[in-house]
Amino acid sequence: MNVMTHPAELEDCAPAGTFVETVTSVTHYTDNLFHFHMTRPNGFRFRSGEFVMIGLMIDKKPVFRAYSIASPSWAEDLEFFSIKVPDGPLTAHLQKIQPGDAVLMRKKPTGTLVNDALVAGKRLYMFSTGTGIAPFASVIRDPDTYEKFDELILTHSCREVAELKYGQELVASVKQDEMLNELFDTSKLRLYNSVTRETFPYQGRITDLIENRKLFADLDVPPLDPATDRAMICGSAEMLKDTKALLEKAGLTEGANNRPAEFVIERAFAG
Amino acid sequence: MTFVVTDNCIKCKYTDCVEVCPVDCFYEGENMLVIHPDECIDCGVCEPECPAEAILPDTEPDAQKWLGLNAKYAAQWPVISEKINPLPEAEEWNGVDGKLEHLSEKAA
Repeated sequence: MNVMTHPAELEDCAPAGTFVETVTSVTHYTDNLFHFHMTRPNGFRFRSGEFVMIGLMIDKKPVFRAYSIASPSWAEDLEFFSIKVPDGPLTAHLQKIQPGDAVLMRKKPTGTLVNDALVAGKRLYMFSTGTGIAPFASVIRDPDTYEKFDELILTHSCREVAELKYGQELVASVKQDEMLNELFDTSKLRLYNSVTRETFPYQGRITDLIENRKLFADLDVPPLDPATDRAMICGSAEMLKDTKALLEKAGLTEGANNRPAEFVIERAFAG
Repeated sequence: MTFVVTDNCIKCKYTDCVEVCPVDCFYEGENMLVIHPDECIDCGVCEPECPAEAILPDTEPDAQKWLGLNAKYAAQWPVISEKINPLPEAEEWNGVDGKLEHLSEKAA
């Protein structure tokens, strides 16, 4: 299988409407997860929380998948989290990238997990499982989010404790960052972790923790209230469906770019 | 899976959908847009954007009969990648029943 990652080669055969960008760093967290930075094309603009199509040329054909941009809209480079699917048409190869390699990116960012799709409120919940945290890595570093809401609660639920690490490091780095602290009040941001398959003080599926109200008790906040609470949801298909149902039961309605409302969900990812 | 454009697009053609499509899978006819079923990645961002609510996932019962039409014309019409103005009488035609007989087979 021929996988093209040399920048000059990719420039020659990149399809129309795509950028060729260079990987600048790669970090592998687990057997299933890695994180990478790449250069950002001049003039490329996006809103924090959006996703874009990322790909490689494999046997001379472009293979793309949707990736949330994990970096905020003001950052000079781009960051992404990626899973590793053993025989995945893209990630089997993407997981081998090294600094200096090149990657394709389609020109149009888009998505629903954006501040524009939510009406004003007091508290923003960002419910995520596994790599679903990626768009929220962007949203929690955007000054607009802190202007819009008084309290930001990021929930990150994984199967095992080890998988919580990158989310914990992310939130710690936001709270310690001198520059970000000048831009906004990072004390507004709270992280709530839970795991489903190991013993842990906060254990269980996020939907169970919402339904049995343990989430709100642990955080010392009132239960969901459509007058004050807004939400973004990013996780597996099942978690999206179940969490949406719980939010609707609490009286929140789903919004979109052209008709903002109380919550939004990401539908772009399978499994 | 894919999304499909259904009859309420005909003679409206708002094109708000095109603005948010990350893979440019909309194809433009004279008075309607269609989605290429093999190019659509099911991201779902277009569905709520359509002022005419003309886009459905193909899992909806009403969507099935539109799959063939979308596939057929996506192969014939040119791709559209930016929003343009709706057709001049879009507001009058939005929500009108039985627009299929007004479908123009011509490319934009």
